[in-house]
Amino acid sequence: MSRSCDEPGGVLKRPEGDIVIAIAGNPNVGKSTIFNAITGLGVMTAHYPGTTRAVHTGTARAAERIVGVIDLPGTYGLSGNDEDARVARLALLDLVPDVVVVVVDPVNLARTLYLALEVLDLGFRVVVAANLADEARRAGIALDAEGLSARLGVPVVPTVGTAGTGVRAVVDAAFEAAGTTPTRSPGYGPDFEALAEPLVRACRDAGCTPGGLPPHAVALALIEGDDVMAAQVDAQVVSVASRVRSAIRSHFGEDASVRLARERHGLAGTIGDAVVTRTGEKRRLPRDWWALTTWPWTGVPLAALVAGAVFAFLFFAGAFLAGVFSAVWQALASPGITSVVEAVAGDGVLSRVLLWGLDAGIEASLSVGLPYILVFYVVLGLLEDTGYLNSLAFLTDRFMHRLGLHGRAIIPLVAGAGCSVPALVATGFLPTKRERLIASTLVMFIPCSARTAVILGAVGHYVGWQYTLLVVGIVFVMWLSIALVLQRILPGESHGLVMEMFPFRRPSFRRVMAKAWDQFREFLFVATPIVVAGSLVLGGLYENGWLMNVSRPLEPVIGGWLGLPAVAGVTLLMGMLRNELALQLLVVLAVSTAGYAGANITDIMSPTDLVVFALVNTIALPCISAVAVFWRRNGLKRTLAVVGASIVLALTIGGIVARVLPLLGLE
Amino acid sequence: MPSETLEEYLEAIYKLAERGEVRPGHLAEVMGVSAPTVTATLGRLKARGLIERPDGGVALTLSGRQAALDIIRRHRLAERFLVDVLGLSWDEVHAEACQLEHALSPRVQEALETFMDNPSVCPHGHPIPSASGEIAERRGLPLCDLASGESARILRIDDESGELLSYLSSLGMFPGTPVKVCEVAPFKGPLLVEVGDSKYAVGREVAGKIAVEQGGMPARRRKRVGGPR
Repeated sequence: MSRSCDEPGGVLKRPEGDIVIAIAGNPNVGKSTIFNAITGLGVMTAHYPGTTRAVHTGTARAAERIVGVIDLPGTYGLSGNDEDARVARLALLDLVPDVVVVVVDPVNLARTLYLALEVLDLGFRVVVAANLADEARRAGIALDAEGLSARLGVPVVPTVGTAGTGVRAVVDAAFEAAGTTPTRSPGYGPDFEALAEPLVRACRDAGCTPGGLPPHAVALALIEGDDVMAAQVDAQVVSVASRVRSAIRSHFGEDASVRLARERHGLAGTIGDAVVTRTGEKRRLPRDWWALTTWPWTGVPLAALVAGAVFAFLFFAGAFLAGVFSAVWQALASPGITSVVEAVAGDGVLSRVLLWGLDAGIEASLSVGLPYILVFYVVLGLLEDTGYLNSLAFLTDRFMHRLGLHGRAIIPLVAGAGCSVPALVATGFLPTKRERLIASTLVMFIPCSARTAVILGAVGHYVGWQYTLLVVGIVFVMWLSIALVLQRILPGESHGLVMEMFPFRRPSFRRVMAKAWDQFREFLFVATPIVVAGSLVLGGLYENGWLMNVSRPLEPVIGGWLGLPAVAGVTLLMGMLRNELALQLLVVLAVSTAGYAGANITDIMSPTDLVVFALVNTIALPCISAVAVFWRRNGLKRTLAVVGASIVLALTIGGIVARVLPLLGLE
Repeated sequence: MPSETLEEYLEAIYKLAERGEVRPGHLAEVMGVSAPTVTATLGRLKARGLIERPDGGVALTLSGRQAALDIIRRHRLAERFLVDVLGLSWDEVHAEACQLEHALSPRVQEALETFMDNPSVCPHGHPIPSASGEIAERRGLPLCDLASGESARILRIDDESGELLSYLSSLGMFPGTPVKVCEVAPFKGPLLVEVGDSKYAVGREVAGKIAVEQGGMPARRRKRVGGPR
């Protein structure tokens, strides 16, 4: 094909390869599992300029040949202003794949074929992957793949993406199709085609083929009212297009673009009816009781139960696993690293500083990462894979709307009470940039389990439960105010919700693990180096005895404004690394300050001090890993704004509480 | 004749009033201006006797309603002209018609009507008021007024920008498509709607823009409180 490959001018590039295939499909038809099965794990993620949807590209080797693969965003159609549709269309027209693999779902064939027809209409070579073949069989649905292939004029390959079945056959079919002339779409109703014919002819005569598209494709795009296309063709063709649109409108009594969509759905439905047979003895599917997840009387208690379970799991199972990991690390990794570092750097300050970074730093990162974050991704993946997340979003949509969010944002917010990092990553699936920004900012202000542990350890243990509730209450009111302020100051409003609800699906272990690993990598490679670097700096300060010097300029704030002893200021700084360390460090430093072992925190801090300390530690500065992930997702400016706001809020609230509590009679 | 700005306000008030009580805050949202601006403009409208302010709300007077219908008539005729005669797409004509509507004299309106064979509705399916200021009753009720278990058929999609329309059509929801409400989330939450073999969660804002006609089984019609915002 002689299509000019315009450089998109952004990050997303056509992958290298003997042929390039794009994978298109509706959301949740298993498009990404097919992509993963083809490419393995050598995957790049890129953004289109001006959009926020990530597009994965990758390469694979199949029998001595290289295949470049583009995973388009999951979308129901290619026209319209919905971001997924727009990015998919742009990527197709700019990157010009040799073959487009359209993934369809036999259970929902008619609706998923709509996209296949749109891709065919654009003049691409198509291979149809009929995915979820196993599930279709279970649902008592038989697909006549040959019949479908004959009707569409393109190869049809049954696949089970999760098991990798048929994926090889898809790649082979793509190689075979790559050299051929693209098949034209089967054609719509005779009335419609007759009305469109003058435009097709005009396009052919004018020789205008923007982007190398065939005349029929250009004509259909013009009928759809595609402005980009209209700007690329002759004025004469545009005027024919107006006449044709007008003729279609008066013939069918509805707008040409709607008529075309109706024709496509009609054709997809006819084909679907012809090639799908539903065997009578359709088994009673779990989708019947699945309705309980959306029926308010059962759905709301269930949602509370699931949210509680996820939270408890992160809090208790995470803490348990972290303990196990720590013990294993101390027993196995730590001595090894220590001996290597000491062999290289000797037994002095230098090696102790290096150990801060390489031993304690890596341990800090992994002991959050493996037990909390990886575990959370697996739990989240299971909930998503069964389709439960959509039910949850359906039930909570109303409340989340008040915060300028979407029902699905409930997941990151609940997760944030466990650990901020996976919660931040989980904001990635929210539909608009505004919602992602609001949700990730709110996550930064939700006390994670480590910060909750400090509240419980310092205030709950030494001061009393009433004051624990006070601290939690203050933090909650602050959080809600931030939510309402953000909702007001960020322009735009949350999108109206239209979300497909999936019936219950048996979760696939492979799919869940692949996804969890994919998300976990981001944490591993972004946060770990930053935590290690931060640890080295703190280690350098600590081992050289400079930490007190660093905290001296802070004395007016820590001592003067908050009324805390100097050691508390030091531990707050250290808490940046890992919030739960703040309390342990405070105990250690209390001992060294008081000068005798067995010294208690209460020897150096009053109950008011402890409340203020817990508040400031909870509100100020989320840990460095969370800041690193937030930075990567939202840019430096917003990160500075959030970090700055959290410090100001913490100091303001801390200072006020430090003055009010003594008036109420607390020491 | 009121200025262009005042005409835009009258039009917006009329459309909001079709869906329930009008508050200055709604107007500020719809017009994209600040609350003080709305208050000032409402003052001007009131001084001309076009609106009343019962209990801080906004209501058109008889002459205000006539003026509003006049501008709506011109807007919808202009849209019709842009789509039918010039062949523009219906999702782009709303903004164009906003420009054009202010320039149509009664003489031109009449000529347009004759030329286009007296259209009764605009391209989005809304009725076009007559020259004497009569307007056909809007048929149907918003999807969000259905209770769970009720079935209906889509009548039209009240979306001037066309974005929602093209998105819904990619899901197979057109005027004429049968839909069934399976579940309604608590606290005026979204609706779970069955279309063909698929189910969708449809937010109340969106469901308020989908006008439906109840079909098939007789269904009780719930009293509307307020309306979709």
